Amino acid sequence: MSAASTALRAGSDPYHIGHGPSTGVPEYTGHGAGGPAPKRIVVGYGFWIFILSDVILFSCFFATYTVLIEARNGGPGPQQLFDLHNTAVETACLLLSSFSCGMTSLAVARHNLLWSEITLAITGLLGLTFIGLEVHEFLGLVAQGAGPTRSAFLTSFFALVGCHGVHVTAGLLWLGTMMAQFPAKGFKQTILHRYLCFSLFWHALDIIWIGIFTVVYLIGTITP
Amino acid sequence: MTLLGKLTWQAIPLHEPLPLFSGAAVVIIMVAIVAWVVIKGYLPYLWREWITSVDHKRIGVMYCILAGVMLLRGFIDAIMMRTQQVMAYNAPGFLPPSHFAQVFSAHGTIMIFFVAMPFVIGLMNVIVPLQLGVRDVAFPTLNSVSFWLTAAGALLVNLSLVVGEFDRTGWLPYPPLSELAYSPGVGVDYYCWSLQISGVGTLMTGINFVTTILKLRAPGMHYTRMPMFCWTALASNLLIVAAFPVLTATLAMLLLDRYVGFHFFTDTGGGNSMMFMNLIWAWGHPEVYILVLPAFGIYSEVVSTFSSKPLFGYRSMIYATMAICIISFMVWLHHFFTMGAGADVNAIFGIASMIIAVPTGVKIFNWLFTMYGGSVRFTTPMLWSIGFIVTFAIGGLTGVLLAVPPADFQLHNSVFLVAHFHNVIIGAVIFGVFAGYVYWFPKAFGFTLDERLGKWAFWLWLIGFWVAWGPGYVVGLEGMTRRLQHYDVAEWHPWLVVAEGGVLIILLGIIAQIAQIVVSVRTREQRRDVTGDPWDGRNLEWATASPPPPFNFAVLPDVTDQEPYWDMKARAREIGQLTRPEPEYQPIHMPRNSPTGFVTAFLAVVSGFALIWHIWWLVVLGLAGAYATFVVFAWRDHDEELIPAEEVARLDRANRAVRSAALHHRQLRREVETQREPRQ
Amino acid sequence: MSSDPNRFEQFDLGSHVGEDRVLGEAPSELHPPTLRSELRGYLIGLVLAAALTAASFWALDEHVIYGPGIVMALIVFGLAQVGVHLAFFLHLTTAPDNANNALALAFGVLIVSLIFFGSIWVMFHMNQHMIPARALMEMRGG
Repeated sequence: MSAASTALRAGSDPYHIGHGPSTGVPEYTGHGAGGPAPKRIVVGYGFWIFILSDVILFSCFFATYTVLIEARNGGPGPQQLFDLHNTAVETACLLLSSFSCGMTSLAVARHNLLWSEITLAITGLLGLTFIGLEVHEFLGLVAQGAGPTRSAFLTSFFALVGCHGVHVTAGLLWLGTMMAQFPAKGFKQTILHRYLCFSLFWHALDIIWIGIFTVVYLIGTITP
Repeated sequence: MTLLGKLTWQAIPLHEPLPLFSGAAVVIIMVAIVAWVVIKGYLPYLWREWITSVDHKRIGVMYCILAGVMLLRGFIDAIMMRTQQVMAYNAPGFLPPSHFAQVFSAHGTIMIFFVAMPFVIGLMNVIVPLQLGVRDVAFPTLNSVSFWLTAAGALLVNLSLVVGEFDRTGWLPYPPLSELAYSPGVGVDYYCWSLQISGVGTLMTGINFVTTILKLRAPGMHYTRMPMFCWTALASNLLIVAAFPVLTATLAMLLLDRYVGFHFFTDTGGGNSMMFMNLIWAWGHPEVYILVLPAFGIYSEVVSTFSSKPLFGYRSMIYATMAICIISFMVWLHHFFTMGAGADVNAIFGIASMIIAVPTGVKIFNWLFTMYGGSVRFTTPMLWSIGFIVTFAIGGLTGVLLAVPPADFQLHNSVFLVAHFHNVIIGAVIFGVFAGYVYWFPKAFGFTLDERLGKWAFWLWLIGFWVAWGPGYVVGLEGMTRRLQHYDVAEWHPWLVVAEGGVLIILLGIIAQIAQIVVSVRTREQRRDVTGDPWDGRNLEWATASPPPPFNFAVLPDVTDQEPYWDMKARAREIGQLTRPEPEYQPIHMPRNSPTGFVTAFLAVVSGFALIWHIWWLVVLGLAGAYATFVVFAWRDHDEELIPAEEVARLDRANRAVRSAALHHRQLRREVETQREPRQ
Repeated sequence: MSSDPNRFEQFDLGSHVGEDRVLGEAPSELHPPTLRSELRGYLIGLVLAAALTAASFWALDEHVIYGPGIVMALIVFGLAQVGVHLAFFLHLTTAPDNANNALALAFGVLIVSLIFFGSIWVMFHMNQHMIPARALMEMRGG
């Protein structure tokens, strides 16, 4: 291992504001020209690219919702259907779960199994609550005859929000797998990398939800 | 609700001789190949060395083989279509409309998704890590999953020959025709599910290569020292990452319409079928550049190597590539000017489409100036490149014509358009992958391809292409629309007969290519590439042995120049020995083989088939299997294996020995030449 | 470029010289990251995000913000909250070691905007110029 990377491993930040780059700092940071990056960086970056592609997938559903929002086919619109209290509770659930996921990151970084599991469990419960609320909302809509086949508007609504729900469900399955892996495998490198990806995924789901409650629910409700 | 969903004996085309015959032929050939492999006892070898391999070179080769096989399938469709149009002047021809529609749909789908894409991705797989001077891609196991998912999609498309039918709506299933009300059969479902499966594979390839190129490069390889092929691969994979989610979303919407009665694109319920055109082309236009940019990269490598000159305007080439990468996302409406979005929208997209011709023109001039003043060697890859420049310039110009909205209103959906995109896809993408295939074949297999047959193949393809598609422009201007099963216009008929002749010339070209492989394999001992550098190459892929060892480089090369290997050779010649003394060899960790890709693809085929035929219990089973695979994969402990230092040393010393020998041979020759000089 | 031949001796798939950053890990300005400092970052993020969410729901009330400006306000609050998440939960910064992450994000944002606003623009104009399918159905007496 070269001296430069050892210095970095020790945790000195070469770009600390007010401090010029110290000697031995590789000139290639950010340009990847200093040789292959370590596995952790590669995994994290690859997953970040995946998340961006997933956001692009969502953008299609957002666009479709916005295009079709007035295609009611004589059926009900957002104002008649959406219960913003439900949305507010869902939003709170996801925001808190994102925060508790951050807490898991802190515990995992310190290799603290107990707190990792506790915070993961909290994250999972909040996620489950969110899914429960969403399913409840969907069933309620279908019961009043406003299912996805009623109109193009409802089609695009169910598809967008449902797609996010499917992602959260997949995230919960992943979360369960992580909770089993920490005790079974310990905090070894591959598991830490996987957790890093999971946390990125979970935070990204919350970011998508910001778009959903803003565009679908809030702006949707004020659309005539 | 039955156990087998919609699947009955009716699905097997027992009453239609043509599909039955071709389907049976495919099944018999496949069974024969499998039987041959099993009887000969090759299965363990295949399983160990290829099917479960996560080596980027092996995966790349498998991609190219898949593309080659599917090219034959797609080309048979092409011959059938041309023949039908020759026969169907005031006559029904030999293909009934329903079958003709399946043939043109399958031809487009196969040629784009299962020929052009895998060929381009295969070449990137073999070459990009070598050019970057690293050991493998960022995620080797994922790479294997990507390949097998692509193969799974291809298998499903071919399955539709035997069980059920293929889509009849063209290579893009435009609603409302593709909706359940108008296409109640399983054809559209075959199309959608096979593309969803292979699309996921392609998306993962994109992620893998973007990460590889940005995060794994030999030390010292700045962005401005990356080979042009890597730059174009980066742009192409960025486009994959950006565009393929759009395809996935769009097809998912269509599937929701078809399976659970949603109203995205239906006529009823307020659906808007034009939203499908809008979304599918937001994927479709970048897709064109996903295919063509790596081909541009191949031409850059080939032209520079065989002109024995550095690429002219390297930086402007990078800017042009990245400009195309971005602008390609701003022109998608030119595929549906006639939709009626109005003059202002059409004008803006038309202008953007013309702007994209500017960076493309920059590239053409750069290739020309690279050749200018160089000592050009007219090898097969170089012939493909020159043939491309001429063909593509014309194809590009017809594209600029089509980008003018008023002209497009006349030419839209005519054979002129079809001639244009064949002109650019054959002239740029297919010529490009053929150039790359001949150029890099010795790197992958360790022996060169027969040049004489290669040149025959080139001339037959080039002439065949122009004879086949030159008439397309004419009949297009005469008003012939695309996808005609029969017609009664006398002026078109002679041109279509000529086009049939062109297709037969291309057929001869393909036969020449097959002969080229056979002859080259038989005479491989005479054509061994012992030096690892048969073309006097300039980039790092030529710095290692042919075929490269599993770890590519015993010690990662130290990049100090924009053309690292050329630079290394120059310095070695100066100091009279290899630039680096023999290193202390260390054992190397390489990723272990994994059956994950194959298992995932198997489950994908099972789930896809079950979804197409509404066999719901099998769908559940397939998804559960997928989750189980995920958990098993996540639970693995040993994902790497060690190549001992002695093995590394043995392989690398051999490579060093041939390179020293080549160096000394060269020096000797130069000494002889300098001694001779004074006498002249 | 260093000419020391031994400098890059041991390049396995996973070795390196320069180090970029991964999103989601402790922010680079905290060295060494203490539990307190990291926790503070997450708490600030939580409070800001909660405040912005509350502001969004509150803005819906027509008496608070000038009516036609509500949509704009909602978009601003939403984007601000996305920024808060990126900065405080994912620890995205503009430092050079984050260049690849930020560039990838910029590319993603560009594509998302092109698809989202482009589709809306195109479809809006088409709907204006063409008779919508549903109106056609109604005219036919469907």
